[in-house]
Amino acid sequence: MNQCYGCNTCQSADKPLEAFIRKLPMETSHHRVDSQKTKCGFGLQGVCCRLCSNGPCRITPNSPRGICGANADTIVTRNFLRAVAAGSGCYIHIVENTALNLKNTAKNGGDLKGLHALDRLCRMFGIEETDDHRRAEMVADAVLADLYKPEYVPMELVEKIAYGPRVKRWKELGIMPGGSKSEVFKGVVKCSTNLNSDPVDMLTDCLRLGISTGVYGLTLTNLLNDVLLGEPELRQAPVGLRVIDPDYINIMITGHQHTIFVDLQERLKSPEAVAKAEAAGAKGFKLVGCTCVGQDLQLRGSHYTEVFDGHAGNNYTSEAILATGAIDAVLSEFNCTLPGIEPICDELHIKQICLDDVAKKANAELMKFDFEKREEQSEAIIDKIVEAYKERRGKVKLNLLPEHGNSNTLTGVSEGSLKEFLGGSWKPLIDLIASGDIKGIAGVVGCSNLTAGGHDVLTVELTKELISRDILVLTAGCSSGGIENCGLMTPEAAKLAGPRLRAVCEKLGIPPVLNFGPCLAIGRLEIVATEIAEAMGVDLPQLPLVLSAAQWLEEQALADGAFGLALGLPLHLGLPPFVTGSPVAVKVLTEDMKSLTGGQVIINPDARESADILEGIIMERRGALNI
Amino acid sequence: MKRIMIDAAKCDGCKSCTIACMQAHRETEGTVYDLDLTDVRNESRNHIELAEDGGYRPIFCRHCDAPECVMSCMSGALTKDPETGHVRYDREKCGSCFMCVMNCPYGVLKPDTATRSYVVKCDFCLAHGEEPSCVKACPKEAIYVEEVS
Repeated sequence: MNQCYGCNTCQSADKPLEAFIRKLPMETSHHRVDSQKTKCGFGLQGVCCRLCSNGPCRITPNSPRGICGANADTIVTRNFLRAVAAGSGCYIHIVENTALNLKNTAKNGGDLKGLHALDRLCRMFGIEETDDHRRAEMVADAVLADLYKPEYVPMELVEKIAYGPRVKRWKELGIMPGGSKSEVFKGVVKCSTNLNSDPVDMLTDCLRLGISTGVYGLTLTNLLNDVLLGEPELRQAPVGLRVIDPDYINIMITGHQHTIFVDLQERLKSPEAVAKAEAAGAKGFKLVGCTCVGQDLQLRGSHYTEVFDGHAGNNYTSEAILATGAIDAVLSEFNCTLPGIEPICDELHIKQICLDDVAKKANAELMKFDFEKREEQSEAIIDKIVEAYKERRGKVKLNLLPEHGNSNTLTGVSEGSLKEFLGGSWKPLIDLIASGDIKGIAGVVGCSNLTAGGHDVLTVELTKELISRDILVLTAGCSSGGIENCGLMTPEAAKLAGPRLRAVCEKLGIPPVLNFGPCLAIGRLEIVATEIAEAMGVDLPQLPLVLSAAQWLEEQALADGAFGLALGLPLHLGLPPFVTGSPVAVKVLTEDMKSLTGGQVIINPDARESADILEGIIMERRGALNI
Repeated sequence: MKRIMIDAAKCDGCKSCTIACMQAHRETEGTVYDLDLTDVRNESRNHIELAEDGGYRPIFCRHCDAPECVMSCMSGALTKDPETGHVRYDREKCGSCFMCVMNCPYGVLKPDTATRSYVVKCDFCLAHGEEPSCVKACPKEAIYVEEVS
């Protein structure tokens, strides 16, 4: 392991990780940033159209319209709607499977770990039934019924879940969504060849998709997961590559669909499975968290202490986790499972099994999760992984980084656990905001990418800037993975906060950055915001609350972003979402949105400047609230 | 003396060179994200032609050894720098007669589209450091800088 593949890797906010990757004897995404650094200017601006055989058409001073006549506004917004629809489809796939798994578990009388969450959902949905399994099935059915509605039939749960003043505004704007799957369908139809050319109409559809994505794909996925998998509980946990214990058979999990692992998680700690591991020379099995499903498992880690080692890192840490040599298998069920892990898995003889064909990797075995066959599938997975362990261990040299990360990241933060921590009410937090000890709240959410300064560079720098201004940061998504590995979610990070926030953190023994876990938990942030707004008697756009998806990566993030805009929140992005070629799109997203939903897009790649802008908005809102 | 050399067989016609040139010579501040691609004032000094054989022909100023443009320039706006070999253009001196445009053997020189009062001419990005922006932007190395005697 001495031969360096190539030292020209991108920067990471996580310096030990950066040094580790630079010395790896294999290629990773971090190595490829340099060879992909020349970007196509038309692509960056979103003005390349390949919707028909006359294309690709690109906008230049000599060719301001494509052959069909589409101008930059039409080309950009078609591309954008297509991306938002695809992103929404991803989240709707997740909530659909989650609801189906809950329904099947309930029908089979399976274990429901979160009865408190079930109570809450039944209250929200107006379900009056006493049997818990029957109630869970009814909850799942209510969600599925909405997902499968036609586009022209409004979904029923939106009004029961979303904040009243928001629903009122959405109705005024005519953006209440029909069935989630049908909305995606309409979105992709609308932006196909020679159909819609109206940029404002297509951007309006993005908002509708945003609401559908947020309420169902985000908020409800969390709550359904809570019923099946158990609710988050505050605790301190280790994070980073240190969580990998080579004495165990290690399984790295990637994806977003935690409910697929329910049976396997239990089976891995069964005496039979442990005996198999021991016979192969290991102490047992451990799941190593990676991407959002790892972040979700970390969030609920108090229920899975025996089998879960901890969260090792985000999407762009996955290659490094595998390169330690101590991972024996990758179980993936969704994104962000990078294609770049495939050659590494081949080289290090790591078994890859995909549990959902939507995320089938080229060289992996597909074992599509089947609820009816879950027990035999879990057995088969265990046997295959034990085989892989026997084949590879001893042959593959370990390259561990046991000092990476930290051992006391505060995790398990949710709308429920945080409120409980505050004594069952948001009043203490509202009082701190009113007194200015906490100037405001910023949700630093979304993905991790390698191009906004490097791996997590903008995310971490912006977070540091925000807390230094006494702004409390809440995270959800791969941003959490980067920020936690950099130590900002340990209680000691309080010293990086401004004096007033620092005092609050030190008094309560909490970090200035609270880890809500996966991107799905953006839905939890929405609940926190809604409950605070409700307690204060205001609408969301009046709160001293801002969002940043500083290092957004993919189409799902754009659908999340559309939700943020529909909620009326300022949304900062480090890199533009391929829209700047359209003056109309830029104006609608950055200016007109303020008068439509109250939201706005802010694009800025600089951490300090971005923090200045976000702080300015928070101060403006504080002023308007007379606090 | 440095020249931009062209390996037309490698060109994919992506126009990255064109955008890089537009960005390098724009009059307003900003990044490639907010470069107005429809504004003729941002026109490029290079372009790509589609040849009859289906291949692409990147058309760039060659900073010729015996530059027809310089020889035909009556105002002295175009000069050949004996040190660097670059053909330089001084907009202040230009009389807008466009004899250079008529005489350029590569068809690369052109009057500016917006005002038709000056010549759009490669300056080797001297104001932007080491390498011309177009060369830096080419993903295929179809254009590259070579030292010539």
